[in-house]
Amino acid sequence: MPTLPLITTDTPARESRLEPILSVLVALAASLFLLFLVAPLVGLVGAGGLRGLRLLGSDSELRASLLLTVGAATLATALAIAGATPVAYALARGRFRGRALLAAIIDLPLLIPHPVAGIALLLVLARGTPLGAALWTLGLQVTGSVTGIVCAMLFVSAPLYVSAAREAFDRVDPRFEGVARTLGDTRWRAMRRVTLPLAWKGLLAAAIVAWARAVSEFGAIIILVYHPRVASVLSYERFTAFGLREALPVAAVLVLLALIPLAALRALRGDDLLPQRRR
Amino acid sequence: MITLREVSARVGDFAVEDITFDVPQGAYGIVIGPTGAGKTTLVEAIAGLVPITHGMLTLGGSDLTRAAPERRRLSLVYQHAYLFPHLSVRENVAYGAVGANVVAEMLERFGLGEVAGRNVRVLSGGERQLVALARALARRPEVLLLDEPFAALDPRRRVVVRRELRTIYFERRFTVLQVTHDFHEAGLLGDVGVVLDRGRVLQAGPPEELFRRPASPVVADFIGAENVLAGRAQPIRDAEPDWAPGADAEDMEHAVAFTTGPITIYALGHVIPGTAHAVIRADEIWLARAAASSSVRNQFQGRVLELSPAGAITRVTVDVSGIPLVAAVTTRSAQELQLAPGVEVFAAFKATAVHLC
Repeated sequence: MPTLPLITTDTPARESRLEPILSVLVALAASLFLLFLVAPLVGLVGAGGLRGLRLLGSDSELRASLLLTVGAATLATALAIAGATPVAYALARGRFRGRALLAAIIDLPLLIPHPVAGIALLLVLARGTPLGAALWTLGLQVTGSVTGIVCAMLFVSAPLYVSAAREAFDRVDPRFEGVARTLGDTRWRAMRRVTLPLAWKGLLAAAIVAWARAVSEFGAIIILVYHPRVASVLSYERFTAFGLREALPVAAVLVLLALIPLAALRALRGDDLLPQRRR
Repeated sequence: MITLREVSARVGDFAVEDITFDVPQGAYGIVIGPTGAGKTTLVEAIAGLVPITHGMLTLGGSDLTRAAPERRRLSLVYQHAYLFPHLSVRENVAYGAVGANVVAEMLERFGLGEVAGRNVRVLSGGERQLVALARALARRPEVLLLDEPFAALDPRRRVVVRRELRTIYFERRFTVLQVTHDFHEAGLLGDVGVVLDRGRVLQAGPPEELFRRPASPVVADFIGAENVLAGRAQPIRDAEPDWAPGADAEDMEHAVAFTTGPITIYALGHVIPGTAHAVIRADEIWLARAAASSSVRNQFQGRVLELSPAGAITRVTVDVSGIPLVAAVTTRSAQELQLAPGVEVFAAFKATAVHLC
């Protein structure tokens, strides 16, 4: 009689004994990670949040700084939408030579240290450069001006917009456009009537991410523009000049400001704050 | 009219090459091919959504090889409808419509009046396909391109959609080119059939010809010819006038002896002696319990291997000296002949039923 190979159940049994221990370890690692992320922010808001909100009423420099930050970030985002949307569309739909290289070049500002981005911009846009001189004659001074702040914000946030907008276009099957074109639409009309309405949520999310990134920029801005001061520069200045206590309220207000795009993104994605009951 | 001359087109690594066929004005053309044959690429090239890299395309007599899709006066319906999800049923149908009255007419004809205000996301698969057809036809196209339009439908809905399309087609007589992997569609619908495989046309012509005279064993196998036998063909000097002195031998069909395994089949055709394939459709083979004296040139004794009843038709596989032959008989005949596995039968077919390729 042939002998049948024994089927061992040893490994699964051992795994099932270890499972509770593994679960505890995984939960512990996840908790530590979350604590690491959340604790500094909660600490910051807890220590300076209320004072920061009160300061908004009395500190005109803080108010002006926040208005400047929000205004410049909004302008930079608008410029990104105008210039980068066609680029994102071309990257999503186009099948041209050098597409991968173009995508890599656009991603590059995301990967370099932001002061380096500021130095790179300074090299091109400073008054002594041909482009900077040309802009100067047009009345656009880049260094030490709002224009410089917008340039720095655009440089660091536009790649994020391109990347997210490209994903938004990628999610729209090109055959929708194809059908629209066989139904009489030109390429532009098909984009306006079909692609943009189908991609608008993704594009808006891309714009929100770019805006949030612009608001939080510090490294590139401080190389180009120290005055007028955006909120991140103001918080740094108060830290270096007056210490942690004076920097805390400004920093806390910046954290609270970041909650606005966060909430907008969550609303856009339809996420609920509370878990839904399963049906 | 759709005319393609040596058309090539490419999408990524996949290409259709050297495509030549005609679909006359008002005719219903069918492109048949297995998955991955290039059918959708071909349709999209005709629609202008995939650039034609070589050759010429004319629609209604105009050279539109390089024309933008919106200038081609055609509509395209995909298997998955591609309804615009941000628009209602009515807005979808109206998207490219030539007039508001046409929209109303299409909604009524396709029974979509009740769902006209609904978002297309809530429609069933069948309803979605009806909306896609209504949207395409509301443009009053001169050419309608259909990419597997019935494939996603259940059989009952398929009959309804196909019937409605046929009704409008016979009323308007626009030119249709439909892509399918289902050869039954070709027989049911087409005036012109094109067999496509691996990006190339294997055969083009009336569907009847594709069925009866497939150009190759691949075509025969694909379009569902049940008996494709490999063997050797040899023209034979049979009787006058086949080899009558003075007859133009090139123009005449000759008697041919086709040998496959231990059996020899009598056939007719223009054949170069040597390796060949014989195609015999199952419905051309008769079965009898006793040898018959008739004009039928091929008659073989065999044993029933298997019966596959499918409604009114039963497919009977008969073992003839080790060669399986499939015959299609009515289920009633199969019962009257008391056919069952192991029963001795005679399988017979005419020489004209054998197509050599």
